[in-house]
Amino acid sequence: MALEDYKADMERCSQCSYCKWIPLDQVKSWRFAKGCPSIAYSNFLSYSARGRFAVALSLLNKQSTYTDRVVDVIYKCTTCGSCDVSDKICRYNLEPLEMIQELKIRAVEDGQVLPQHTAVIEHLKKENNMMMAPAAERGDWAKGLDVKNITEKSTEVVFHAGCRFSYDKDLQEKTRTAVTLLKNAGVDIGIMGKEESCCGGRAYDMGYKDDFVKAAEKTTTAWKAAGVKTVVTSCADCFHAFSRLYPPLGENFEVLHTVQYLDRLIKEGKIKFSKTVPMRITYHDPCHLGRRGEPYVPWDGKEKKIMNQIVVYEPTKPRYNGAWGVYDPPRDILKSIPGVELVEMERIKEYAWCCGSGGGSREAYPDFSNWTATERIEEAKATGAEALVSACGWCERNFLDAISTAGEKMQVLDITDLVKQAI
Amino acid sequence: MTLSKDVYQSFEDIVGSNNISDDPALLDSYRYHLAHTAIHLGPYYRVYTPRGAAVLLPGSVEEVQAIVRLCNKHKLRVKPSSTFWSAWGYPLEDNTIQLDMRRMDRILEIDEKNMYAVVEPHVIGAILQAEAMKVGLNTHIHGPGSSCSCLASATALAGFGPDSMYMGQHSENLLGAEWVMPDGEILRVGAAGSGLDWYTCDGPGPSLKGLVRGGQGTFGGLGVFTKCALKLYPWPGPANFPVEGKPPAYKVKLPDNIRGYTLAFSTWKGWADCCYMIWEAGIGYVAHRQYSMFGRDLKGAMVKILSDHTKTLSDIEEMLKDPEIQEFTKEMHRDFQIVVAGMTPRDIEWQDKVLDKILEATGGWKVKGMLESDLYNWSLLYMLRLGHKNLNLVYAGGYDGCFGIGGTPDFGTSAPNEGEPERVEQATEFKKEWEKKGNIVAAGGDGMMGGIGGFGGGGHAMWENFTHFDPHDKESTEGTLEFFGATSEFGKQKGWGPGMEKMNDYARWTDGRTTPKEIREKLLSGGGVAFRYQRKFKEAFDPNSLGDGYYRTLD
Repeated sequence: MALEDYKADMERCSQCSYCKWIPLDQVKSWRFAKGCPSIAYSNFLSYSARGRFAVALSLLNKQSTYTDRVVDVIYKCTTCGSCDVSDKICRYNLEPLEMIQELKIRAVEDGQVLPQHTAVIEHLKKENNMMMAPAAERGDWAKGLDVKNITEKSTEVVFHAGCRFSYDKDLQEKTRTAVTLLKNAGVDIGIMGKEESCCGGRAYDMGYKDDFVKAAEKTTTAWKAAGVKTVVTSCADCFHAFSRLYPPLGENFEVLHTVQYLDRLIKEGKIKFSKTVPMRITYHDPCHLGRRGEPYVPWDGKEKKIMNQIVVYEPTKPRYNGAWGVYDPPRDILKSIPGVELVEMERIKEYAWCCGSGGGSREAYPDFSNWTATERIEEAKATGAEALVSACGWCERNFLDAISTAGEKMQVLDITDLVKQAI
Repeated sequence: MTLSKDVYQSFEDIVGSNNISDDPALLDSYRYHLAHTAIHLGPYYRVYTPRGAAVLLPGSVEEVQAIVRLCNKHKLRVKPSSTFWSAWGYPLEDNTIQLDMRRMDRILEIDEKNMYAVVEPHVIGAILQAEAMKVGLNTHIHGPGSSCSCLASATALAGFGPDSMYMGQHSENLLGAEWVMPDGEILRVGAAGSGLDWYTCDGPGPSLKGLVRGGQGTFGGLGVFTKCALKLYPWPGPANFPVEGKPPAYKVKLPDNIRGYTLAFSTWKGWADCCYMIWEAGIGYVAHRQYSMFGRDLKGAMVKILSDHTKTLSDIEEMLKDPEIQEFTKEMHRDFQIVVAGMTPRDIEWQDKVLDKILEATGGWKVKGMLESDLYNWSLLYMLRLGHKNLNLVYAGGYDGCFGIGGTPDFGTSAPNEGEPERVEQATEFKKEWEKKGNIVAAGGDGMMGGIGGFGGGGHAMWENFTHFDPHDKESTEGTLEFFGATSEFGKQKGWGPGMEKMNDYARWTDGRTTPKEIREKLLSGGGVAFRYQRKFKEAFDPNSLGDGYYRTLD
């Protein structure tokens, strides 16, 4: 849909400001009541969903034009979807996150881009990754790992490492662990090594829709050639791209995040724990696995009115409001590990605070991104946990950096780290 | 108007470059669309409040003071707002400096022993309640819900809501305020002004509470309030709501000393008598006719939809065909919601027994369908946190209240003349006729929502008839405006007095700007002496007229 298609939403926005907070029912304290990192950091109303509706309408109505401030408003958003969840507490006919995404796409189409983003996108075009690293080194994480490459031998299950987990030297071991755990549990799994390319999801969240589509086509062409039916990934951003952004392009693979697969294997008795991991931990829901990780439901319909003026859709439109995200599998895994004590933060599941890495914020606004991560570290510390555990390389990298900047001592772990320790 | 570079720089020197902007698009996010929660004027299709000259985000009372002094120097209007919920918080004129108070968001103190909190402007109801509950206390949450500023409610508005019967209006709860007067001087009202704690707004010394906020509040039209103290009340529940469920259908299971019911009656007289008897007995924690805002014919289906995360508005039509839901809806025809909270096990048993006796005496009952666990736990959380209050906009994003039948419970529920239907039924029939035109949601005429006790202790009930429309739809919006014109005329003919639908016409006119003087004076003439006194206050405290017309004055 085009930005103009959201004009009705812009005029129907209630201007109630729920988008700034976590759902009000879930507020447990002054300290951790905020939901939207963008307005929490920048403060002006424009940096909330209601503000972005207004800014977009102002631009569409030609009441204003692009300025540095407008560009800042458009891009300084992690597209975490917190506003979307909170707005939909009271509304069934508004799509703030979709509109914010379209606003970014429009800005890119209009040439209103950030140099930090264009550098990354130019690199993506040449080297197929978002890490400013050579394509040739993408498969290095798997050196010495006994796993087949699907470009050489067809397989139905492919493990997609993703850009962050492929290149980030602090995280590569976690990638190896994920593959090893799956393989040892009997999963016939392959990788693409240096032939793997970016999912395109982060480019989409920055507003680069065309580059996303090209990345998606490249990836799915390779999968199809190798006979892939199921895709497994440890990266929440990739998971979201494959499960939510690819199906509208006509691509339908079974998509599982590693935590979903591991949870299944644990419950089937194919992974058994023999060691105790005495550790008090807390779990961070990655946005793209949690509230944005809801299953895609095809819909092709239109708005209609009932009872004179009630706005509904025909046929019934799927409702993405965070209710169906991937929340239980990671928690079930953590609870099943002997010795692990899971203590929850105040903001969890559909109303979890973002890590600050998404939407191009890490690339273009390092201070904002780091501040957002630091807020989460503070929340994790308040639980008394020794470690902040997550299921996304981008979240983990942002937390590691924030901890390093702040001189904190909290450990940052991937769920696979704990599973490995317990076997 | 664009501020000159020098003036802009002067403001920037006060708040810092990150906390000021005059970017046109950014300023447009500080305008209010007068076609939804217009409270209470219009609705006007695609009419917006004027664009400000600049938005500033002050971080302290000193900054606010400096800004106001600078506004005096340059004769710039100033309009503060904390949570920007309705048109009240937005400028009436160009050349206005808008203050967004969100950086001043601290709870400065919760005095558990003396049961009060001192808060800054951007503390919202949900947050103050969450913090108060940790020490066994609770705060009144006013009608617009827990997303709104507590301070704004207490200083600038009337501030009543569903729990007012037990926890008062915020105007009653105000125990002190720090006020940057329109001339830039700081006045601390109440005991805090004498260097004492914030325990009373009325002394020692002369009380200035009436002066600074008046009966209805200043509506942000006279100076800037930067902190205030609010009375807190006992909370006999857990330190946190143990919320369960998937969004948006959150629910809470609370201990048995906190119970929530929907009461219904076979007659409106029984309904009114029940209010009187509840107040007389001194029972109840929250009482409100809440779910009627969805409309008499739709409320049964709507509460089922809202309490079930798998349902959407698309399910309404099918649900309305369900005989069980039809019966459930019919049963709630004359209803209101109540939460009773016992401070001890004996207290809750006593309150519940009293309630049963009252129901027996008034021909009322507890609606069984609302006792089903999902609905029960959903409703309990809804009423106590008031975190879904913007469901008044659920249908298409636009609503406003009309009629506004207020006074004793008898007023709305009795017949004005023998042989006539009760006022509520007359208003219902009138609205139902207009629903047939198609511009407003066909909800069954009766969308009468309001408090069972607008003040501490009860004694007052007020409803507004919620009317839902589509602010994106010209015909719907203009049809609603026409309907509101007709309701005003209807109320006038009937001698019921002015309705809520045009309550703020005295301040903001059809173009979104200040109402012309002659119309304003005519509309405010009923206020007589009080508004003439307020004119004198304004002359004394706001010599450069930096405030706006929301503050009610008569020459």
